[in-house]
Amino acid sequence: MRRRVVLEASRVSKAFEIPQSRRDTVRAHALDLFRRRPTERLDVLRDVSFALSAGESLGLMGRNGSGKSTLLKIASGIYAADEGRVRAHAAITPILELGIGWNPDLDAIDNIELLGTVMGMTLRELRGATDRILEFAGLERFARLELRHYSSGMAARLAYAVAFHAVRDVLLLDEIFAVGDAEFKLRCHQRYRELHASGRALLLVSHDPKAVAQFCDRALLLEQGRIVLEGPASAVAAGYLELLTAASDAAAS
Amino acid sequence: MFAAPGIAARDLVWTLVRTDFKTRYHGTVGGFVWALLKPVSMFAVLLGVFSYIFASDAQYKVDLIIGLFLYEFFQEATKTGLLSLKAKGYLLTKARFPSWVLIVSSASNALITLTLFSVVLVLFLAMSGHPPSLAAVGLYTIYVLLFFVIATGFSLAASVLFLRYRDLNQVWEVVTQAGFFVAPIVYPIGVLPERLHKFLYIWPPTPVILFARGVLVDGRAPSLLGHALLCGEAAAVLALGALIYRAHAPRVAEAL
Repeated sequence: MRRRVVLEASRVSKAFEIPQSRRDTVRAHALDLFRRRPTERLDVLRDVSFALSAGESLGLMGRNGSGKSTLLKIASGIYAADEGRVRAHAAITPILELGIGWNPDLDAIDNIELLGTVMGMTLRELRGATDRILEFAGLERFARLELRHYSSGMAARLAYAVAFHAVRDVLLLDEIFAVGDAEFKLRCHQRYRELHASGRALLLVSHDPKAVAQFCDRALLLEQGRIVLEGPASAVAAGYLELLTAASDAAAS
Repeated sequence: MFAAPGIAARDLVWTLVRTDFKTRYHGTVGGFVWALLKPVSMFAVLLGVFSYIFASDAQYKVDLIIGLFLYEFFQEATKTGLLSLKAKGYLLTKARFPSWVLIVSSASNALITLTLFSVVLVLFLAMSGHPPSLAAVGLYTIYVLLFFVIATGFSLAASVLFLRYRDLNQVWEVVTQAGFFVAPIVYPIGVLPERLHKFLYIWPPTPVILFARGVLVDGRAPSLLGHALLCGEAAAVLALGALIYRAHAPRVAEAL
């Protein structure tokens, strides 16, 4: 039986216009009213299509600047695609840009409520989950500490913990397993497997071929904004390593 | 996409309002007292000073205080609204949710202050022997709500435009400073020739301040046409703001 598709991207393209000169004030616009501003076009994604099914764990690999994070933002609905479209048939919970995104003047509990409600949880659900979230992050002792006093690692752990509890159907993760000590990583691995086993769909962006081979069923390899390889996770992880080797050989010669 | 969209959206607004308030007053009991104290003490100080300066004209000082507080609300609400997307942008890159929630909830602190002031004002009027009627208080509440709608309409447009024009806040500050003297706050509108009045009424604080004074102090409701025009102005500002917001909203996260 074919599994239900929960997230599909069809022929998504995205470019950013990089201005050659700054013009971001009313004053500058008024002064340069009739002058064209030269811009450079940066094609970040070209004609990218993929589908994610319920219960599937999909890996997304690629070198820095290959367009992974932009694709993840478009898939989350945070960025808009220039061409093509993304259709979500289930609730999407992204974990992006960890460590930033807190109100430094509020303590952990208030920040959990802020981030949790943004991620679509109700306050009732959140109040029931606050202890578990803090426990998952290993931050019970710092529940009433303002976020300004947190280290970036502590803040990132908290973000994971909230998102892991907020996820309903689909979880999109940017560079998971990159924070925390061995114990926290283990907890993340466990939680990831639980979500996978419970039929959630997962999209994991990573630089780490081992993580992708271990946690994903299938993977995509992005290079210069295009999908250059698609298949079983271990094969794509190997392809990524080849790409890296080829790139470093080219740089050496 | 919310599991229980209504409840989750309501909880998000409530959390934004609550944490904004908490950030501002540092979440202490003392903080709440400060929030309460600000409009009360300001009212007392202004009343004391103006009673001394304008001893001969008892009504002028109340008119002046109403004008000052309403204008302060407008200035504060539009300023925080204009900056709201930039200030709360860190939430926009976290999850998909309608960014207008951040804009609409940004004026909450200003609205809380104005509400407290309004309570103090009505109490003062009652104690000084001129209690406003229930209908007057009702009309005043409607004016405040329309004022909130106008500030929100402005903020919807300004907050997305600010991401493109980073000096918009400076420009707006100058406009509101000049606008303070366009609205008849320190001077009675009667000192200006009648033919100019209609232009002054285009500036939203003018009708709101004059109408509020009319119902609370003079016990005189503005004409039906006046009410219709104010409602029309609020609807127009909100519609225009929503249009500009809609045009820019899909790219807001990229512009941060």
